[in-house]
Amino acid sequence: MSRFGVEGTLRAWDRFDAILALAALALVGYGLVLIYSGSLGSYDGPSASLQNPVVRQGLFAFIAIGAMFIISRIDYHALLHYAWWLYGASILLLLVLIPIGQTEFGSTRWFDFGPVQFQPSEFAKIATVLLLARFLSEQGGDARDLRVLGGSLAITAPVLLLVFTQPDLGTSIIFAAIWLGMVVVAGIQRRHLLFFGAVFLALFPFLWTFTVADYQIERISVLLDAEEDPLDAGYNPIQSQIAVGSGQLFGKGLTNGEQTQLDFLKVKTKDFIFSVLGEELGFVGAMALFALFILLLMRGIRAAQIAGDIPGQLVASGVVIMILMQAYINIAVNLSIFPVTGLPLPFVSQGGSSLLTLFIGLGIVQSIVMRHRAYRQF
Amino acid sequence: MSLVGDRRVDPGLSRNRPRGNVGVLRIAVVVLFVVLGARLAQMQLVDGAEYAERSERNRIVVESVSPTRGLIYDRKGQPLVTNSGSFAAMITPSFLPESPTDRYRLYLYLEDLLGVPALQIEEAVTAAEDRGQRDLPVPIARALDRPVALMLQQVAADLPGVTLSVEPRRDYPGGAEFSHILGYVGPQSPDEWRVLQEDGYAFNEAVGKVGVEARYEAILRGVPGRAIREVDAFGDLVTTIESTEPEGGQGVLLSIDSDLQRYVYELLTNTMGEATTAAAVVMSPVTGEVYAIVSVPTYDNNIFSLPDPGEEYQRLLDDPRIPLLHQALSPVAPGSTFKIITAAAALEEGNITRYTQRNVDSTVLEFIGEDGQPYYFYDWRVHGELDLIGAISWSSNIYFYMASCGIPGEGIDGLGANIEQSAIVLGYYARSFGLGQVTGLDIASTESSGVIPSPEWKRRVRSGPLFNPEDRDWYLADTCFMGIGQGDVTATPLQIAVATAAIANGGDLLKPYVTRQVLAADGSVVSTTEPTRERVPVDEQHLAVIRQGMRQSVIDGAASRAALPDLLVAGKTGTAEFVDPEDGVTKERAWFTGFAPYHNPQVVVTVFYDLGVGGTKAAPIAADIIGFFMENVAP
Repeated sequence: MSRFGVEGTLRAWDRFDAILALAALALVGYGLVLIYSGSLGSYDGPSASLQNPVVRQGLFAFIAIGAMFIISRIDYHALLHYAWWLYGASILLLLVLIPIGQTEFGSTRWFDFGPVQFQPSEFAKIATVLLLARFLSEQGGDARDLRVLGGSLAITAPVLLLVFTQPDLGTSIIFAAIWLGMVVVAGIQRRHLLFFGAVFLALFPFLWTFTVADYQIERISVLLDAEEDPLDAGYNPIQSQIAVGSGQLFGKGLTNGEQTQLDFLKVKTKDFIFSVLGEELGFVGAMALFALFILLLMRGIRAAQIAGDIPGQLVASGVVIMILMQAYINIAVNLSIFPVTGLPLPFVSQGGSSLLTLFIGLGIVQSIVMRHRAYRQF
Repeated sequence: MSLVGDRRVDPGLSRNRPRGNVGVLRIAVVVLFVVLGARLAQMQLVDGAEYAERSERNRIVVESVSPTRGLIYDRKGQPLVTNSGSFAAMITPSFLPESPTDRYRLYLYLEDLLGVPALQIEEAVTAAEDRGQRDLPVPIARALDRPVALMLQQVAADLPGVTLSVEPRRDYPGGAEFSHILGYVGPQSPDEWRVLQEDGYAFNEAVGKVGVEARYEAILRGVPGRAIREVDAFGDLVTTIESTEPEGGQGVLLSIDSDLQRYVYELLTNTMGEATTAAAVVMSPVTGEVYAIVSVPTYDNNIFSLPDPGEEYQRLLDDPRIPLLHQALSPVAPGSTFKIITAAAALEEGNITRYTQRNVDSTVLEFIGEDGQPYYFYDWRVHGELDLIGAISWSSNIYFYMASCGIPGEGIDGLGANIEQSAIVLGYYARSFGLGQVTGLDIASTESSGVIPSPEWKRRVRSGPLFNPEDRDWYLADTCFMGIGQGDVTATPLQIAVATAAIANGGDLLKPYVTRQVLAADGSVVSTTEPTRERVPVDEQHLAVIRQGMRQSVIDGAASRAALPDLLVAGKTGTAEFVDPEDGVTKERAWFTGFAPYHNPQVVVTVFYDLGVGGTKAAPIAADIIGFFMENVAP
């Protein structure tokens, strides 16, 4: 017996969820095409260069997929065993970021290592999912008890607040969603859920006044009427609305979008990549993207369902919630039903940290799927 | 196995745990994507046509808002330039009507209003479109009268693509005597535009072309503002997306004293006589700042602000006196003013001393050269017994021939072991006094470096099909003529002034400058020019000897007409001979360079006329300039 599992657990790769992996790869491929179109205006160097955003993203994807395979070989219980350490490291990195991080657009989210940047909040998401899963499963995977609920909240709150003060509203919402989703899966009582909802509503005016940065209020109020202040904060929402809306059913064709190619859209290979898709490939292209996301998420939920034990189920659920909420918020921003928050579209947007985190998450899910028989305890 | 679920598995209940609510996640995925899909359908399918139309209209115009150009002041703070506006009618081709007939109707309307032929407007628009500049406004008529401009402003709203713009204009109220210093601004040439658009220059923006305007372009220009506007298909403003105010340029305070500059200019102009060009430099031997730098003839730099300077400009180009050329920065044989450098070289090399006596008892010196041929050198009068002070004072050619090239075979040493070496040694000293290289005066101009010849130089430039082989050889006469500032030696009046300053101040070779300070918009000083100096390789005592000779020259020598009653002036005349290529007659150029007061030099004055005798033509004028300086400018 090994420490964490049964010998011969990995009889073969045949339990590896190829559909899950292929759905993720398809999203990355879709992203490469959109990054190519979105960077035509800003990049005119040789196509085979590390400066080419498409090449860079391809390279990051290659590394990230490698990481997924390596993680899937590791028993997820090993990761759960070190969950407190990983969580502690995340907190530490987020604290260190405050004095030395890279500030961009008024927000300090990055470590800058020359050609590569590292965003600790990405790493913290995985660590928080692992620790919540471990904590909840140690309590029998039962969130009906108010003390268990309080404990899980105590784990989530520090990272959430650290990210919130960067300030990164989008990522802190992701943390809140991860916590909420995992305690729901762990069976939170309806009256507790109502209670937290009431507390949030009661605190909302206070949060609005004292803790939400001015730029966030501006973005939120701009969202209510983007045309009201087209000078400044309303610019991006208006331009992305025009881009997406003008794409109509079939789009204007790849690399043919005026909004994209004439630079009306900003950060169009990152936060606003969905607007590029909407403009150039239209409703049909967007539906294809939705289908890929739904397939990927449903396979993730399947992993949660067949997981051999409670921690496995909770970890898989956490990863699914993380991907779902990021995708939802990013697309909602592009469709102007959510304030601009600066979240990337998972697997699709340009960005190495995000890609690596996502594939590490998928690697853990694969690890759970590949060992579900070995740990069957239900 | 189904794609999205595996119904065989039922996690069931653990002992005390509710069934994992994984199904909730499925509901969440479906609900959230239905929300997104519905919103997307609303935007793309229901409102899509409206957005498509907006995307079509959505055009962004980035306009550069020109900053106010910085002003230029004289040393007392009087402005030498003012900014004013001039109205111009502009057309932006991309906003014109599509149909050619509509366009032409618009051109005809403008013809009525502005008096510019419709065909000419059409040509200008077509030319801009051919350049690919459909979105840049093209000027159709410049310098509009105010009533016309106001009328155009009223109707422009109904004329697609037509706008009234106010173009900044530079006026130079100081007069033509400042043109060579200030220079002027003008439209960018295609080559300049290629470079300047990188710095955010607008296509129509004027840039400094020469003079201080060009040299300090970066300071005077300021930072342009930017207005990013969303416009509709007619070019009408929809919203302003971003706008930043321009930042006015910084001012430049010159070391030029405009009263002195004007006085010197008028003095030279009124004393030209048969001379056609003249130049004068008045500078400080302490700092290197230039108080006045005059070139005659000059030109009116205000003509470059005219809507069409073509005719006036052509007249300047056709003038044989080349008014656009800065005479104080143009090279000419320095003649006897160069002897102060020969004297410094000979004293430092030790082949003569202050007391070396020569007897110039004839105006002709004859001796047999190394090649056995007789050589004849001439002086301008019989000087008799002379020491170095006397030789400088009376500007003896024969004394300086002997000091530079020596007399081979008679035991009189030149500067070096042979005539070639002597020339090289003299060239070294000339260069260390700033000759043969540009001074780097801070006005953009065609400053010449002049020529300090050497055997190597002669071999190089006298080669080719136009020359005989013996033209390349270096002769005794080459070294001797060099010693008195003739032959192939050329220098600019400014270089002679800088060399004179180095002798006056005891050996500091100063970099001359006309800009004392850069001023912020509120008049506060941003930066002050620090004098830059190098040492000349000549002992201070030797320089004192030369100063004494120059003083003696004013007391009772060739420069005696530079004397002033209450002031000790020191100076050196120069009368450079040249053969006029027009009539083959030998003529003379008049030079004077000097400084005052003798014991504590405050000012260096160099005067040059292209025709005349140094002692009679240039020296008295220099005295007038020094007198005016001491009375009106001296610190």
